[in-house]
Amino acid sequence: MAKPTDLVQGTLDLLILKTISLEPKHGWAIAKRIQQVSQEALQIQQGSLYPALHRLEQQAWIKAEWRPTETGRMAKFYSLTRSGRKQLERELANWVRLSTAINIVVQEA
Amino acid sequence: MRILDKARLRLRSLCRRPNVDFELEAELRFHLDQLIEEKISSGMPPEEARRAAQRMIGGIAQYKEECRDMRRVNFVEDLVQDVRYTIRSLAKSPGFTGVVVATLALGIGANIAIFTIVHGVLLRPLDYPKPDQLMYLTAEAPAIGGTRSALSAPEYIEFRQMDRSFAEVGAYSTGGTAYTTGEVNLTAGDRPLRVRSISVDAHLLKALSIQPEQGRFLSDEETARWTGTLPPPIAILSHELWRTAFGGRPLVGQKVEIDGRPHEIVGIMPPGADVMDNHTQVWLPLWLHPNMARQREAHVLYVIARLKDGVTAKVAQTELSAFLENWGDRVGTTDHVPTNRPLRSVDHTLQLRSLQDAIVGNASRPIWVLQAAVGFVLLIVCANLANLVMARAGSRRREFVLRTALGASRGRLLRQSLTEGAVMSGAGGILGLWLASAGVRALIRAYPASIPRTSDLTIDLPVLLVALGLSTGTALLFGFVSLGRRRTSSMMTALKEGAGAASGAWRHYARRGLVVAQVAFAVMLVIGAGLLVRTVYNLTRIDAGFDRSRLVTFSMTLPMANSEPDTRAQAYQRVLDRLRSVPGVLGTVAMSGLPPNRTPDAIATPIENYTSDDGRPFEIIDYYQFVMGDYFGTMGIPIVAGRGFERTDNASQGKVAIVNETLAKRIWKGQNPIGRRLRPPGGSFGASDDVWHTVIGVAKDVRQRGVERPAGTELYVSLDQHGVSPPSMNVVMRTTLPRAAIGRICRTRAATGSHRHLRCALLHGYGAPARDRHSGRPRCSSLPRAHTDHEARASGHGDGYHHWPCRRPCPKSADCVPAVWCAADRYRDDRLCDRDDYGRGGRRQLSPGVARITARPERRAQR
Repeated sequence: MAKPTDLVQGTLDLLILKTISLEPKHGWAIAKRIQQVSQEALQIQQGSLYPALHRLEQQAWIKAEWRPTETGRMAKFYSLTRSGRKQLERELANWVRLSTAINIVVQEA
Repeated sequence: MRILDKARLRLRSLCRRPNVDFELEAELRFHLDQLIEEKISSGMPPEEARRAAQRMIGGIAQYKEECRDMRRVNFVEDLVQDVRYTIRSLAKSPGFTGVVVATLALGIGANIAIFTIVHGVLLRPLDYPKPDQLMYLTAEAPAIGGTRSALSAPEYIEFRQMDRSFAEVGAYSTGGTAYTTGEVNLTAGDRPLRVRSISVDAHLLKALSIQPEQGRFLSDEETARWTGTLPPPIAILSHELWRTAFGGRPLVGQKVEIDGRPHEIVGIMPPGADVMDNHTQVWLPLWLHPNMARQREAHVLYVIARLKDGVTAKVAQTELSAFLENWGDRVGTTDHVPTNRPLRSVDHTLQLRSLQDAIVGNASRPIWVLQAAVGFVLLIVCANLANLVMARAGSRRREFVLRTALGASRGRLLRQSLTEGAVMSGAGGILGLWLASAGVRALIRAYPASIPRTSDLTIDLPVLLVALGLSTGTALLFGFVSLGRRRTSSMMTALKEGAGAASGAWRHYARRGLVVAQVAFAVMLVIGAGLLVRTVYNLTRIDAGFDRSRLVTFSMTLPMANSEPDTRAQAYQRVLDRLRSVPGVLGTVAMSGLPPNRTPDAIATPIENYTSDDGRPFEIIDYYQFVMGDYFGTMGIPIVAGRGFERTDNASQGKVAIVNETLAKRIWKGQNPIGRRLRPPGGSFGASDDVWHTVIGVAKDVRQRGVERPAGTELYVSLDQHGVSPPSMNVVMRTTLPRAAIGRICRTRAATGSHRHLRCALLHGYGAPARDRHSGRPRCSSLPRAHTDHEARASGHGDGYHHWPCRRPCPKSADCVPAVWCAADRYRDDRLCDRDDYGRGGRRQLSPGVARITARPERRAQR
């Protein structure tokens, strides 16, 4: 079964890493944050968010811990690891290169 | 660091699965609750908000599955699940499982068993450093069919001059000090043993590059440059003999008695050290009687050479050919030197082959044939089981379709099929390995002499890998077969059809194909087996020249070092007399060579008024048969002209002889041979001089070198007339007694009172005597091997040229230590003397001149 993704392959990882780079967040907050920052342009489905989080965790780029939220309920908070920070830099550099290239092509043509 | 983190996470996912699942559940639940809350806060009623949120999110179970996939441990989890499921479903159909596993075990077991032999005997390199460099040199006499014979001592010394290709050249003889049977009596303390011996020179041990485990090896002074009139009294024990017979206690420097003479143990061989699969237990220095060392006719030495580094066998062969070209000119004689063109019957040439080839010899082809046969058996097994699995898959079709409908992917189903295959093949493989190890042991026990290099045959790593490969191969086969070509498009029809639904055309043809293949393989095997059975049947029908029914035989040896020809003859005569007095024994005779399998003697025999094809006054006679008693009557060999030996001959002065039909035809070419004269060398049977013998009769041909080969020329001489005897004789009895009784008689009557200090040693074959598991007593496992081709090759009897060694005086004639051992019942059952003591009874010394061998009751009945 095809995984529902409206994003370019690999960009979800970048978005997640970037979103939690400032402070640890739980899954719901990550989705909300991306939605807000992108001004509702990017809707992250639960079906793609959690597998991605688990994948990143398996790669040891992010780590998770259970913490109470501001309402006092326990939630799983994800934060970047050291290798995750490096990975973020790499992905960011890649993204900049790729998007610049695409921009040039789109504008020139 | 990252790798460690990853590993920790995987391990956690695997081992603490409930926790992980619970966390995932909680995480998703949290998300859902947040969503509901958001909807409520935007003004939706709670119930509606919950429904809307659930609609938005979709199937939680599916996300969970995906998250699990992300954890990358599903493979292991699925595998465990599949194995569990497989075992459950197989246990539910024990009939099917039993048939599959048992069939697989047989197929795989047979293949592993034979591959163990292929690997251990044919493929495994010899246990010497750089085994490829070792070459084996033999004399070949194609004109008389002599092959793989020994070299004469002068030839060996001359061959050693070839120093361009060879780094080291050494020689051995398996004749022991007495050049008889390759066995000696070894006595240490109160324990007499009959052990396999070999005589080697210092060069041979250097050529083989083996180092002593303890003590030292032989020096040149003790072999090549030894000038004594008797061999140097030193010996090296094999590691195995040292461990079994002496319990591994310090022995170097101590003395043991070998054939009645004290020998000092100078060293212990490393474990497994041997030469030419001789199963050597004691290593003696090679010593030749000065006469023999000069004689070109006496072929007594086997030669092993090590090639120099970088020299190929081909280069060595070229050097040898060049050397053979002018061998005669170089040594200044043309008499009996090896040549490149061995055209005449007296000529021979030398041949180099790799030591491994020489050891494996003719065994290679039967082993490969056997391997091919069991390979076909495995194919049949696979075809058979594929059919069975396919039939089962047909009835399970609905199950598979249902699982597809529930979301199982094709890959997932295939994985499960493969798991099923692997579980069955694994079980079959393990059972097969067990069968194979039992089978190999049984095979070696049943045919100890027919396969070389069996002493260290084990199921080792390469064999295990092959076993694993076979199991994996069959597992894959079954996995694919049982999944077959299942189309998801016809899911609905399949679900409706139910179990046992009609299979598709593909399945139909595949099963037909399998049946055809099975029948084809089976027919091939049956034809092959039928041909073999027919061959065996034909062999049993061949007229060997004598009446094989109700004949029993054993052999006896009185070592030359401790006995005179005439005392030997008296001892043997007493044995025969005793056996003749047993009720039920119809006739008892003794002879030097045991038909129908013996090595040729090829003795040059002067013949009166005769010139051979190459202008000599003598002819090489293939077989000499020295007999005691009414040989022709007892063996049932017809006399076709003249008469047989009679008692009246014994007293008469003129010596008589009998020839066979082939010899009569060869020499006298249709003329009457009766009354002609020939002069067999007296040294060949213990007489002091050569005398003319008159031919009194012609006997029908007797097959001597295998029943399938034509008879050679043969000359019979009566030892009763000469009153002397060679060291070893074979006793043959024609009897109506049952088997068990004969065994007892062989052991008691044969030995009792025939010679002072008589010790009985069953011819126990190779290695130290095996211990009986129950009684702890040494046991005799399998007997008459002294006369198999293999053993004959290994013993000092050169195939083409056999010469009885020169007489040597008995050093302590009053204290001779002969040995009688029973080679049992060659014609009835190869294992008559199945279990018995080894030399125990013989220690009881009675009054001088009398010794007794205590018969042990047949223990077989108690078991």
